[in-house]
Amino acid sequence: MSNHSPLGSVGATQTAIGEELADVTKKHKRTAALRQWWNDRSRLQQWLMLLVVVALAYLLPVINPPLITTEPANDFAISCFNMALYALVALGLNVVVGQAGLLDLGYIGFFAVGAYVAALWTSSDSTFVHIPYLATLPLAMIVTVVFGIALGLPTLRLRGDYLAIVTLGFGEIIRLLATIIPGLKGNTGFQNLGRPPGTNADGEALFTASNGLPWYWLVVTIIIIVAVLLGNLERSRVGRAWIAIREDEDAAEIMGVPTFNFKLAAFGTGAAIGGLAGALMGGQVGFVNNQKFDVPTSILFLAAVVLGGRGNKVGVILGGAIVAYIPLRFTELAAYKYLIFGIVLVLLMIFRPQGLFPAKAHLLTYGSRIRRWVKKEQAPAQPEGGPPPGSAPPAPGGSTAQSTRRARKET
Amino acid sequence: MSMLEVNNLEVRYGRIRAIEKLDLTVERGEIVTLIGANGAGKTTTMRAIAGLLAASRGSIRFEDRDITKLKAYKRVPLGISLVPEGRGIFGSMTVMENLDMGTYSRSGKKADSELDRVFELFPRLAERRTQAGGTMSGGEQQMLAIARALMARPDMLLLDEPSMGLAPQFIRQIFRIIKEINAQGTTVLLVEQNANQALAIANHALVLESGRITKTGTGRELLADPSIKEAYLGVA
Ligand SMILES: Nc1ncnc2c1ncn2[C@@H]1O[C@H](COP(=O)(O)OP(=O)(O)OP(=O)(O)O)[C@@H](O)[C@H]1O
Ligand SMILES: [Mg+2]
Repeated sequence: MSNHSPLGSVGATQTAIGEELADVTKKHKRTAALRQWWNDRSRLQQWLMLLVVVALAYLLPVINPPLITTEPANDFAISCFNMALYALVALGLNVVVGQAGLLDLGYIGFFAVGAYVAALWTSSDSTFVHIPYLATLPLAMIVTVVFGIALGLPTLRLRGDYLAIVTLGFGEIIRLLATIIPGLKGNTGFQNLGRPPGTNADGEALFTASNGLPWYWLVVTIIIIVAVLLGNLERSRVGRAWIAIREDEDAAEIMGVPTFNFKLAAFGTGAAIGGLAGALMGGQVGFVNNQKFDVPTSILFLAAVVLGGRGNKVGVILGGAIVAYIPLRFTELAAYKYLIFGIVLVLLMIFRPQGLFPAKAHLLTYGSRIRRWVKKEQAPAQPEGGPPPGSAPPAPGGSTAQSTRRARKET
Repeated sequence: MSMLEVNNLEVRYGRIRAIEKLDLTVERGEIVTLIGANGAGKTTTMRAIAGLLAASRGSIRFEDRDITKLKAYKRVPLGISLVPEGRGIFGSMTVMENLDMGTYSRSGKKADSELDRVFELFPRLAERRTQAGGTMSGGEQQMLAIARALMARPDMLLLDEPSMGLAPQFIRQIFRIIKEINAQGTTVLLVEQNANQALAIANHALVLESGRITKTGTGRELLADPSIKEAYLGVA
C-alpha cells in the first residue's frame, strides 16, 4: 500500500483552499472595516473628505509629484489626461460589464465612432459641415447610442460567450470600415481637429495638443458629472434591474423586469460614454486615423474594469487610471504591457477575483425602502439578546411575528 | 371561466418537440399538480406558462385573456409568478433585496403587508434578512424563492419542484406552507417529483409523459391509481 493515498492529497488541497478562503475573507473584512469607518463619518465629514480628494485629483498634474511623475519620458499633464480618459472609458464599460453583466469585447468600436464624429465635424480634412468642437461631444454620444442600439437590437438576445464574440466582431468591423470607406481616410486620417474655445492672457489657445492641463481638467470634470449621474441611475429601478439581470436573467424577467430593454439601455448608456471619451481623445490629440482602435486596446479597457472591480465606480476609475499609467510611467515596460496586464489579471483572478476594489455589498446602498424595512424589523428584535431567565423560549421568529402584527395594526 | 386555460400547447427547442397537444385548466383557488418522470416536459410547461418559452402552437389564457404572445415580464403584473426550478436566487443580493426584487412589478406601491406575510410564513428569512442570497442553504434559498414570488402578490403561483434536494422534514414543511399559501387565497400550480405528497394536497392532478398528458383526475384518484402507484409512488 502506498503512503501517498490520493485521498490524503485531496485533503491537503482542501486545507489549502480553506486557508485561501480564510485569506479572502480577511481581505474582505479589511475593506468592510474601511467601509464601516466611512459610513460612521458624518455626512459633512464625508463631503469634506471627498472635496479634498477631488481637489487633489484636479491638482495632480500641477503638483507633478516626484517618483509618481511620468516625466521625462512623457509629459505628465498629458499622461494625466490619458489616465482620466481611460478612467472615463472604464466608467462607461462598467455600466455594460459591471452593472448589467454583459461581456462587451468590442467597446473600442464606440470609442472609435466618437473619435470619428469629432474628426468628421471639425477636422480641416473633412468635407462635412463644421460645428464647434464642444458640440461634437453630445453629437458623438447621440451617434454612438444609435450604433449601440443597432448592435444591441439583434445581438442582445444572445447570451454570454456569443455576445462576447459578436461584440468583438463589431470592434473589428468599425476599424475595418474606417480603413475601407474612402470618406474615413484610413491610415491618412484627419488632422487639425477642433478644440474648445478660450485663450490665455497672451492670446494663445488654451486647449492644445501639447498642453494637457486644460484637457485633463475637462475630462476630470466630465468624469465627476458622469459618475454622479450613473450613481443616481444605479440607485434607481434601472440599477436594480441591471444587477438582477447580471445575477440571473430569467429570474429577473419573472420578477417583471423587461430584461431586453434594460440590456439595451445598458448598452446604449455605455456606448454614449465610450463615444464621449473617443471624441475627447480626438480633440486632445488633434488627429484621428484607423490605427488606434485595435482589439488589444479594447481588451485593455476591459482589463481596467476587471482590475478596478466590476460594478464599483470608484474602483473602475482607478483601474482605468492604473492601466493607462503603467506603460506611461515605466516606458521600458510599455512594449510588454499586454504581457504584464495578462499576468496581473491572472494573479488577480486567483487571489482577488472581485477586483482591487470590489463592489460594495448592495445592502443599504440602494432602495430607501429596504433600509426602512431592515430598520423597522430589526428594532423590535434587539432585546432578543437577553431574554429574562426562566422565560419560555420564544418560538422561532416569534418576535418577528409579534412585530409584524403590531405593524399591521399601525397601518 | 377557469383561471388558467392551456389549449393544445406545443413548445419546441429547435427541432425537438418538448411538449405537444397539452391541455390544462386550473380553477381559481385550486392546487393543481403536474407529475411526471425526468424529461417529461414539466419545466417546459411551467416556463411556457410564465412566458419564458414561446409556444409554437396552441394558446394560453389567463383570467379570460389570451396571453400566448405576451412577454414574461408582462405576465407578472397580471398575477402570474413563477418559482423556477433551481430557485433563481439573486446570489449577491441580500434576502431583503431579493424580496424587494419580488415587488418590482408593483412599482411604487407599498409592500409592507406582503413582507409581513412572507415573514410569518418563513420566520427563518426574517432572521436572515441581511444575509446574501447566494450563501443561504438550499432549503433557505427555496423559501426565499417562494417568498420572493409572493412579494408580487400573485393570483397564481407556479412552483417548479419546490422540494428538490431538500431533507424529508424540510419537504413536509414546504408542502405545509404551500397549503397555507393556497388557503390564503393564492391558486397554485405545482410540479413535483414527490408525487405522494403533491397528490395528497392537490385538488386536481395531471400526469405528463414524454410531453403529453396521459392521465388526469383528482389528487385522491391518482393516489389510488395502481399504475400511478407503480410508476411514481415507488410502490410495487
Ligand atoms: N434548452 C433546451 N434545449 C433542448 N432541449 C431541452 C432544453 N430544455 C429541455 N429540453 C428537453 O426537453 C424535454 C423536457 O425537459 P423539461 O426540463 O421540461 O423536463 P422536466 O419534466 O422538467 O424534467 P425534470 O423532472 O428532470 O426537471 C427533455 O427531453 C429535455 O432534454
Ligand atoms: Mg424540470
